[in-house]
Amino acid sequence: MNFDTRKYVIIAFILIVGVIYSIRLLFMQVIDDSWALRAQEIAEKRKEISPPRGAVYDRNGRKIVSNRTYYNLMMKESEIVNLDTVAFAKLIGWDVKRVKARFIEIVKGEGKYHNRHTNKTTSNYQKVRWYPFIKEMTLDEIANIAAHLGEFKGFKEEVTSMRSYTYANGANIFGYLSEVYKEEIDADHFYKSGNNMGRAGIERFYEKDLRGQKGIKYIVTSALNNDVGSYMNGKYDTVAKQGPNLNLGIDIQLQEYGEKLMKGKRGCIVAIEPATGEILALVSAPSFDPNLLVGKRKITKNYPKLARDPDKPLYPRPLAANYSPGSIFKLLQSLIALQEGVITPEFGFGCNKGMVGCHDHPSAGNLYDGIKFSCNPYFYAVTKKVLQQGKSKNNFIDAEQGLTLWAKYMKSFGLGYKFDTDITGLTSGLIPNSAYYDKWYGHHRWAFSTIRSISIGQGEVLLTPLQMANVGALIANRGWFYTPHFVKSIGKKGPLPQFKKKNITMVSAKHFDAIIEGMRRVVYVDGGTGRQARSADYIVCGKTGTVENKPKKDHAVFLAFAPMVKPKISIVVFIENAGFGGTWSAPIASLMIEKYLKGHITDTVKEKRMLDFNVYGTKQP
Amino acid sequence: MRKGEKITTNIDWPLFGVYLVLMLLGLTTVYSTAYNPDHPNLFDFSQKYGKQVVWLLVSLFLGLLVLLIDADIYRKFATPIYLFTLALLVIVLFMPAKFGARAWLGIGSLGIQPAEFAKIGTALLLAKYISGVNIKLQNVQTVIISNSIILIPMVLILLQPDAGTFVVYTSFLFVMYREGLSYDPLILKIINLIPGIKFKETWVGSHFIPIMFAVVLLCVATLLYSGETITFGFLPNFKIPGVVGVLLGLVTIAGVFLFLSRFIGSRRDRKNALFIVIIGLVLSTSISLGVNGLFKSLAPHQKERIELFLGLRKDDDGDDYNRNRAMAAVGSGGFLGKGYNKASVSSVESNHVPESETDFIFCPFAEEWGFLGAFILVCLYMFMLFRIIMIAERQKSRFIRIYAYTVAMILFYHFMVNIGMDIGFAPVIGIPLPFFSYGGSSMMSFSMFVFVLLKLDSQRSYILQ
Repeated sequence: MNFDTRKYVIIAFILIVGVIYSIRLLFMQVIDDSWALRAQEIAEKRKEISPPRGAVYDRNGRKIVSNRTYYNLMMKESEIVNLDTVAFAKLIGWDVKRVKARFIEIVKGEGKYHNRHTNKTTSNYQKVRWYPFIKEMTLDEIANIAAHLGEFKGFKEEVTSMRSYTYANGANIFGYLSEVYKEEIDADHFYKSGNNMGRAGIERFYEKDLRGQKGIKYIVTSALNNDVGSYMNGKYDTVAKQGPNLNLGIDIQLQEYGEKLMKGKRGCIVAIEPATGEILALVSAPSFDPNLLVGKRKITKNYPKLARDPDKPLYPRPLAANYSPGSIFKLLQSLIALQEGVITPEFGFGCNKGMVGCHDHPSAGNLYDGIKFSCNPYFYAVTKKVLQQGKSKNNFIDAEQGLTLWAKYMKSFGLGYKFDTDITGLTSGLIPNSAYYDKWYGHHRWAFSTIRSISIGQGEVLLTPLQMANVGALIANRGWFYTPHFVKSIGKKGPLPQFKKKNITMVSAKHFDAIIEGMRRVVYVDGGTGRQARSADYIVCGKTGTVENKPKKDHAVFLAFAPMVKPKISIVVFIENAGFGGTWSAPIASLMIEKYLKGHITDTVKEKRMLDFNVYGTKQP
Repeated sequence: MRKGEKITTNIDWPLFGVYLVLMLLGLTTVYSTAYNPDHPNLFDFSQKYGKQVVWLLVSLFLGLLVLLIDADIYRKFATPIYLFTLALLVIVLFMPAKFGARAWLGIGSLGIQPAEFAKIGTALLLAKYISGVNIKLQNVQTVIISNSIILIPMVLILLQPDAGTFVVYTSFLFVMYREGLSYDPLILKIINLIPGIKFKETWVGSHFIPIMFAVVLLCVATLLYSGETITFGFLPNFKIPGVVGVLLGLVTIAGVFLFLSRFIGSRRDRKNALFIVIIGLVLSTSISLGVNGLFKSLAPHQKERIELFLGLRKDDDGDDYNRNRAMAAVGSGGFLGKGYNKASVSSVESNHVPESETDFIFCPFAEEWGFLGAFILVCLYMFMLFRIIMIAERQKSRFIRIYAYTVAMILFYHFMVNIGMDIGFAPVIGIPLPFFSYGGSSMMSFSMFVFVLLKLDSQRSYILQ
């Protein structure tokens, strides 16, 4: 029997295997990429490199928020050999118990891995990974430790970057950073556990600019999770890009001076450049050093203290507090009346102290004097003319129509709504409209006599200090304003588009002359309420306010801009429970104006008096 | 050597050439895989590549010795050689275990694996025995003796234990098949016990070996894909059940054979081939479907046992770790590969694929050279195997032919299982890739195999028995 044909069976076997293997290889290597993806999963790690955040400069190019290098003390359990716990504890200045507790904390907590897809958190602690044992140490703190780290295998230092504030001021402007929460990581995949995020102020508003672009480095890792080199010689790596610098309108020295002046007081100062809407200073008193909230360690230590403080230093008063504006509101009532044509600058009204109390002063024969004396009955009369124009015979309907028109004017002054701006934590204040009063009194159940206290900035009307300062700016500009904002330019991009849009008020420019003249008289004519704000070098236009705050002491307000021609600064000073506006707020405003316009203070006596003034009495906070 | 002849006379250069190419490719791959930046010199003998160079030189030296010695001795001394290797296999059982097996003979890191050399002894004795048997008169005794020659070392190897080499020994069955030695006498003995039946020959009996292998391969393939869904990275929503994939594969193979059958000369043979292909397709389809159905109907714990045996557990980081990593390494190579010394998954340094310089050496090669390299490598092995079969078929001596077939089949087995486990077609059985894997024993024994064949072939005009 001849078995030679059987060789074909064997050849066929070999051939089938060869062909199938070739097809399989073609499929695995070229056509189907799932194995390549699996290989990436196994061997390649994306290492994200976080760039330092963008720095922040003030209007004069001073660096006010920068980054400083901090150090984490890292540990890797697999490399620790025979740790002398006592010596180690001594080195880092802890007791042994705390060192042990920290180990347990890391093993149980730091390695937690949250799976986005299954929404499960599992312990992912790995002995072969580095974990921060102590976070955020300064150079001084690490220097002593680092010198001896060689003796403790499995520990090393790692550099990290955190915020640093050159000036101890502006905490409420800048905000602070803190570690992201699980929900935030889920919502934005930019963040990884342990990353920081802006929590308030411009850090929060400009978070997406400041955080920059993460760089990605692909590294090959071994089965033991060690780095064994870059992937494809870094072909796919991207470089981390630092966020653009922010240039603020803030004058940090003015801010610093404002915070100094406001020591021992509660309240705020807001200064705006009328021509641009840039905020020059935004003082919230009491304030705190922004460096107190840098890094997890300091936040944990200081935040609860600040939060518990009864004077609420964390509360950004200039943006969020709603105050009755008091007499400075009279300026706006006058503007509306002039525009509506219900009065002329020559309108006079005898101070009869009839409807409302007033201080002792001669009767105002015209609008200038009305403003100068801040005569309450005068402005009742003015506002009544606006609200009750007699267009309807029914007093109630007439008042409703009048109020609707009045509210429209107020809105054009930037009141009663939140500015579309880069300030976080803004509130809107309150400008009551007819619907508001209908709720209280019923439809057509109210008239001017019911709501008359709004005439003098009391009652339902509420403004934020920022809005008050903006009122100063729009008067200084004679009828328009730019939305107040912090940031002049983001890197080289310039400001946000909404800051380049002029907001035109409903009052035409010609009617402002009378108001501004009145404001000048407040400061420069004897008998004016704001004489304390006088300056010989330039003309300050101002308006005092004393806001009733029964049963506590009145709030003192002063609104001003200067100089009278081509105004450079509009400012409001609001001091809680300080009493008469002319006594305390006007001098502080004048010091601020002088500081800004001249750079130095001539009247040091006034300055000292203001610095010494303390609303807490003898109790110093 | 006969007078007036140089040792290069009548050497089959194509076989020698492909042997040398594979050895050098293997060495470069070992160098790349085990590369240690602190010891960049290829000849640094503290490193695996340095040692591999030594093994390569030793192998070539042994080859030279083989070429110098007259080929007659292999036939004459086949029995002593076989017994010697058997003795080594027995001795090794009393040696201390290394990596969980008593497979090494020697001191320290220098050791040899007798199992590798026992294959040569078995091949020679089997060739000698079968070449002396009159196949036409084959009987139960022939079947038992020839099978015993294989089975004795197999049992000894299983005692080590070395499952991989054990499986490789079944390649000798193909050689027996080629020579017409089959299990038919045994089967006839049993069947003819039935009163009234008196067969002289059974088709199943004489083709028992290839049929068994085809069925086993088919069953393994079906089981491998039974529970799986085949998806394609480039067709995201296209999924086919695994068993359909296997059937498609069968149809493809049948198509290839139909195409090839057109080149058969006579019309009758063509018809026969067509008939065989159709029957084969129908049978294999039904076997595959049957196995699939049977497997699905199994209880979970039974399934689990089978899956474990096949290395089929789906836990990527658990039991199926090695294979999963190996496949990822191969698959990540792409068309042109990552480049020499750039393997990121299977380098020894990253260590995701264990034993990547020995049993899994195909992984770094395929990762670095991509499909192009892997395909060329498959072609080189195919070329080598077909060349050896060609050499076998040109022999007048049955002894040499049988020996040549054992060389071809052993190499084929190693090739099939070793690469198969890197591409998910074979269970993970640790056997080296011939001429490629790091290791002295396998390199020396495979070289001996080839050189003995070269020597025998060079003297084919003198050796007629």
